[in-house]
Amino acid sequence: MVRQAGAETIVKVSGLGKFFGAHKVLDGVDFGMGVGEVLAIIGPSGSGKSTLLRCLNQLEPHSEGVIDICGSRIAADAPLSRRDLNELRRRAGMVFQSFNLFPHMSVLRNVSLPQERVLGRKRAEADERSRALLDRVGLGAKADQYPARCSGGQQQRIAIARALALDPKIMLFDEPTSALDPEIGLEVLAVMQELAEGGMTMIVVTHEMHFAETVSDRVLLMAEGKILEEGPSVEVMRNPKTPRAQRFLQAVMNR
Amino acid sequence: MTWQGLELVAWGIPWTLAVTAGAFLLGAALGVPLCAMHVSRSRVLHGLAVALIVALRSIPPIVWLFLLYFGVGSGYLKVGAVQAAVVALGLITAANMAEIYRGALRSIHPGQWDAAQALGLPVRSELVDVIVPQVFRVTLPSAATYIIGLLKDSAIASTIGVAEITYLANFLSRKQFNESLTIFAFAGMLYILISLPLAALARLADGRLRARVAQ
Repeated sequence: MVRQAGAETIVKVSGLGKFFGAHKVLDGVDFGMGVGEVLAIIGPSGSGKSTLLRCLNQLEPHSEGVIDICGSRIAADAPLSRRDLNELRRRAGMVFQSFNLFPHMSVLRNVSLPQERVLGRKRAEADERSRALLDRVGLGAKADQYPARCSGGQQQRIAIARALALDPKIMLFDEPTSALDPEIGLEVLAVMQELAEGGMTMIVVTHEMHFAETVSDRVLLMAEGKILEEGPSVEVMRNPKTPRAQRFLQAVMNR
Repeated sequence: MTWQGLELVAWGIPWTLAVTAGAFLLGAALGVPLCAMHVSRSRVLHGLAVALIVALRSIPPIVWLFLLYFGVGSGYLKVGAVQAAVVALGLITAANMAEIYRGALRSIHPGQWDAAQALGLPVRSELVDVIVPQVFRVTLPSAATYIIGLLKDSAIASTIGVAEITYLANFLSRKQFNESLTIFAFAGMLYILISLPLAALARLADGRLRARVAQ
């Protein structure tokens, strides 16, 4: 589907580089995206996709370049204070491959606690919002259970609700379905698709090629820490230009 | 062994419990900063913590006790026998608890820190709401085992005259040396009787916490 996107820039990354020791995992990454856009990042394992995503909310501080995201500017040599970081992270929600729900809290507490601690909402107000969001992801009945009693797909949908509860401007998804059975992954993808249709700005690191092609507006294809191809999803996925990208897409599409 | 004899040895129970509880509370509290120093990014703090933990754990408890009571206590500070026993055992407990906390901390999935940070939780909330409750649950069984060990170690306080179970048993057996076997057997039984509810309590608490999370 086509959206009115790109009117206002929400993310701009210039000259992004990241070292792990002597190993350079991101090298000269440049891209930008507008409010309401859905961007998929694909590529072989170890190409730096997840690291790139984790640099955006500074779970990994970058080594080179500048990141502008949701009104924050982060230069490699001028990291944000914890206070500014938390402000950025409030605006940029993240969903992880391993869900990372807090196992010692009920589902409801998982979604309400961050609202209370980060936004200063009262317990009743936070719970009301949490229940509305849990209903939205189809898990209203699970509110009083503990995460261990929920399936992987349910846990991931709860994690999405937890991130949404802070009213983020952008959602970052780090391989949200990679730890799930293909069938179970679909219920998570359905929630994400609904979010995208609702106009949420999203960056999705994924191995779900169908999702990348049909739900995202644009695709970044990465390999060896660099962006190999970038463009409208169907174009990148159907007509890759570089041999490396062709090889990757050949391998993942024809299975 | 007379009823009076039983009663006399049983009077040691409060002191045994006091030394054990005192040392554990002191150690559980001091173990927190010691563990924090150990996992600190500062090399100086880390090195200091490693040195302290090694020193506290390699020197036998009775040597620490004598060092504090006869060494420090006779020259520089006035240290009572009970205080010396609580502090000596408490310091050793701190080293062991620091290691137990550290192990528990490492068992927390790194994703828990990621999630807390990605949500923008303030540092205080990240620790108090997310990490510490999980560390506490992991720590509980090891801490319970340690308390039972500590209960038995508290007997060394008898060497500096704290009137706990072993001291009184020893005292009585000197007066009624033909009954030493019964007296010490009785003392041993008291330790068992204290350990059993402790272990049961720990199992109960652990079970409760697990049951809640697996609800």
